[in-house]
Amino acid sequence: MPRRTYNIAMVSDFFFPQPGGVESHIYQLATKLVDRGHKVVVITHAYPDRKGIRYLTNGIKVYHVPFAIIYRSATFPTVFSFFPMFRNIMIREQIDIVHGHASLSSLCHEALLHGRSMGLRTVFTDHSLFGFAEAGSILTNKLLKFILSDVDHVICVSHTSKENTVLRAALDPVMVSVIPNAVVSENFRPRKYPPEPPAPNNGFGNATPAVHHLGPNDPVVIVVISRLFYNKGTDLLTASIPRILENHPNTRFIIAGSGPKSIDLEQMIEQNVLQDKVEMLGSVRHEQVRDVMVRGHIYLHPSLTEAFGTVLVEAASCGLYVVCTAVGGIPEVLPGHMTVFAKPEEDDLVVATGKAISALRANKVRTEKFHDQVKAMYSWDNIAKRTERVYKGIMGDITEAEFYGYDVGNTAAWNGESHSGVRSFALIDRLKRYYGCGVWAGKLFCLCAVIDYLLFVFCEWFWPRDGIDIAREWPRKIYHSDDDD
Amino acid sequence: MASGTAGPGTTTVLSLDALTTSPRSSRSHLAPEDAFINAAASPPQRSGGFDHHATSHNNNMSLLRDTVAAAGAAGDVRASSRRRESKFGSRSRSRRRKRNWKKILWVKQSYPDNYTDQTTFLDSLQRNPRLQPYEFWPLVADTTVIVQQVCSVTIFVVCFVGIFTERVSPVAVVGWGSFATFLGWAVWDWWVGQEGEDEVLQRQNSHRSRGAWQPRQDGGSGSAHSTTAPTTPSAASSVTNLGATERTTSQGNLAAMRSQHGGSVTSLHSNVSHSSRLLDPLDGLRHRPSSPLRSGRATLRLSTIKSASLIYFTILGLSPILKSLTRSTSPDSIWAMSFLLLAINIFFFDYSGGVGVKFPASLSTNAALMASTVLASRLPSTGQVFSLTLFSIEVFGLFPVFRRYARHRSWRYHVALTVLLTVGAGGGMGLILGEGKDGVWPWKSGLLGVSVGAFIVIVAMGASSWWLIGLQKYKNAMNGPWDQARPIIISRRQWEYD
Repeated sequence: MPRRTYNIAMVSDFFFPQPGGVESHIYQLATKLVDRGHKVVVITHAYPDRKGIRYLTNGIKVYHVPFAIIYRSATFPTVFSFFPMFRNIMIREQIDIVHGHASLSSLCHEALLHGRSMGLRTVFTDHSLFGFAEAGSILTNKLLKFILSDVDHVICVSHTSKENTVLRAALDPVMVSVIPNAVVSENFRPRKYPPEPPAPNNGFGNATPAVHHLGPNDPVVIVVISRLFYNKGTDLLTASIPRILENHPNTRFIIAGSGPKSIDLEQMIEQNVLQDKVEMLGSVRHEQVRDVMVRGHIYLHPSLTEAFGTVLVEAASCGLYVVCTAVGGIPEVLPGHMTVFAKPEEDDLVVATGKAISALRANKVRTEKFHDQVKAMYSWDNIAKRTERVYKGIMGDITEAEFYGYDVGNTAAWNGESHSGVRSFALIDRLKRYYGCGVWAGKLFCLCAVIDYLLFVFCEWFWPRDGIDIAREWPRKIYHSDDDD
Repeated sequence: MASGTAGPGTTTVLSLDALTTSPRSSRSHLAPEDAFINAAASPPQRSGGFDHHATSHNNNMSLLRDTVAAAGAAGDVRASSRRRESKFGSRSRSRRRKRNWKKILWVKQSYPDNYTDQTTFLDSLQRNPRLQPYEFWPLVADTTVIVQQVCSVTIFVVCFVGIFTERVSPVAVVGWGSFATFLGWAVWDWWVGQEGEDEVLQRQNSHRSRGAWQPRQDGGSGSAHSTTAPTTPSAASSVTNLGATERTTSQGNLAAMRSQHGGSVTSLHSNVSHSSRLLDPLDGLRHRPSSPLRSGRATLRLSTIKSASLIYFTILGLSPILKSLTRSTSPDSIWAMSFLLLAINIFFFDYSGGVGVKFPASLSTNAALMASTVLASRLPSTGQVFSLTLFSIEVFGLFPVFRRYARHRSWRYHVALTVLLTVGAGGGMGLILGEGKDGVWPWKSGLLGVSVGAFIVIVAMGASSWWLIGLQKYKNAMNGPWDQARPIIISRRQWEYD
């Protein structure tokens, strides 16, 4: 049986040329999916110097659609105006699956809504955590509930994020998969790492690089790379640095990143006269992060909220011992021998850092092994494979029982109702799902869905399908599957 | 497509309302099955059966997974994960399939990505973690501050109506008002003096230890009312003398103080004074017979009298202008506007403020003074305008300070004041609403007003407290690891944003 491949549209406001975690996630995932024989187009909004259609490495086609940007490169939410252009792209590229990213991207939400109206399968990836208390998140959560009540599958980057999304959008937990982020481990090698990777069947431990011990008089260098915002815990950092340096004088700090809290850090440095011990680099580009990281021995991450914490994986991949606050999804990310966890309190952070410094001084931590271990834990190949399984599940290419992890006879064990697996496209079923969103919101959402559908019918009449050219395909890669499915 | 006929959209709605009212609401956690709608319909005893099914379901799943593995769905990942697991190894390979699911991401587990672990899912969800259930009587007691403010406003309105209808002489109003204000000031001054005696040595100690790192800006949340000019030099001088040397020794104190900043001030002070007395036992005694205090109080009184007379003459001078200020505005607009302004006064009044708040609820006070100004412009003579404006300053500017201090001093004073105000407001309302026969003191309507007012106040206090307690069952705060953590920082200044 020939292997089925899909045409996938990744939609998000956040994509290159601007830097960021979501952006590189989309790019890496798209690259690896293309490697697996799928066709991927990315739809994002236009940037001043980036308009129209571009091709990236591996034949990823990027549509930069013209939309006004209102806040932090998110587009203005015009619920329906995107539809004609979106439909055109979908038909032109013969898309099967719409995959939206990031819950703050209105382009993504609109695309998921229109995709459902057009009868496409939809997947949504949530990259962030939201609380329930603030007024802003109440609105965001309602909107998310609207969009996700009709989406086929949701991907979250950590189990904490899954719990959060299930609560926020009132989803059936089995239609939420946890697929973490990954790192390109070749880009995050330790300093003295042998240039060619060790033979794969050695496992790790056999071909490790030379162990280098920390001399008794060598300073321990602590690296911090984060945007200096309140939610990244910069205040904790500012409070802890003088105390850490007081307890461990032979320690240096390298802080990379910029933001509104950098002034506090600079004040702290001046008040405590620490100019020769704390180095502030300002913001660094993502490709320079590795070069900064390998200068240190410990990576300190005082964040207050984090869905996954890719930077922790990057740091561990560079062979740094990680000290981090145990918030959000962070405790799930790295095993205990690579990390020291702290509560988000000044005292605890100081104690944890002290523990890490003494462990390194005692040469108890085998940091030189971290790179290979991390490489085995997180790779984009694996992520793409797991994402592909989601695509197969929602397209019906693997059986429902296999995808949702139980056989149909046991559904009664859940609650006797049929679960919300493969979603029907019938408008009435969609309306039923939207109607359950709330007393007033449900009716409003139904109205939106109906208008969207009417718009679709209008488009079908006004710009008929056969009048739209089909784009020629980039030659597909042939994927030699190692697991013949 | 098999389940294309999935039930109504409500299947996936997490019906929290249903949960809170369902018999299972005593549970503190949500379980995955709560994500389905028929939480209300499902009998609570089903959970036992559910566990049974869940285990059998797990068995089925592992069987299924065996077949998948045989087909080699994820063979190489499995193999590598097996290697890895043996490396991290905790159990033998044969038992690997029965291994429990763990909430970790760094190991490829033998469960699908969308597997939801029944036992741990949403384990860390906390619902209403910091909920403090209200008690009835404390709540009723807390409503007294609102009653006091409403009654003060009522009394002001009553006085205005009395002056406006010329049933009360404006001189009598302002005379009695001023007399009461003077009396209140005298009592307040006496209280402050009494407390200042106790406080002065503690405050000097505390200033000395805290002045080193924080230029005195608040003087503790409870004692700022008396941080007037005269006491400053002594405190400041001790700061300059001793602050530098004591910086290192008081680090411990700092931590203690910071951690309970915002807690009770007296304990804070006693804490500090206790520890610094250890450092220098004579220090407190040396400062005790402090003459600056006495002379400071005298200066304070003098300046109070000075500013009082300044206000007095300013209002006297402004009265003719105020009288004609809004003459061109129609009375209806004035009534509506003053009603609105007085409502703003009541709604934005600072009910929680302690005695030390410098300018409590400036919006509220300004609204009330503006209301009195526009009302005063309806009065025909300058004397009436002057009386009403002065009276409004007494009621809205000075009286709240006294009320706060009375509550701070003793609960008994507070209750007495509340009763007095209720009686005054009720009686006043009765008098101005009653049929005013000339020359006859309408004691009947006054008495009726008092009883009706007392009745309304008691019922309102009880009903509002009861209502608030009843509303608590709708409170549903969900907290969990996804919430932004609140950092605890002790060595720097307290955290400004939430």
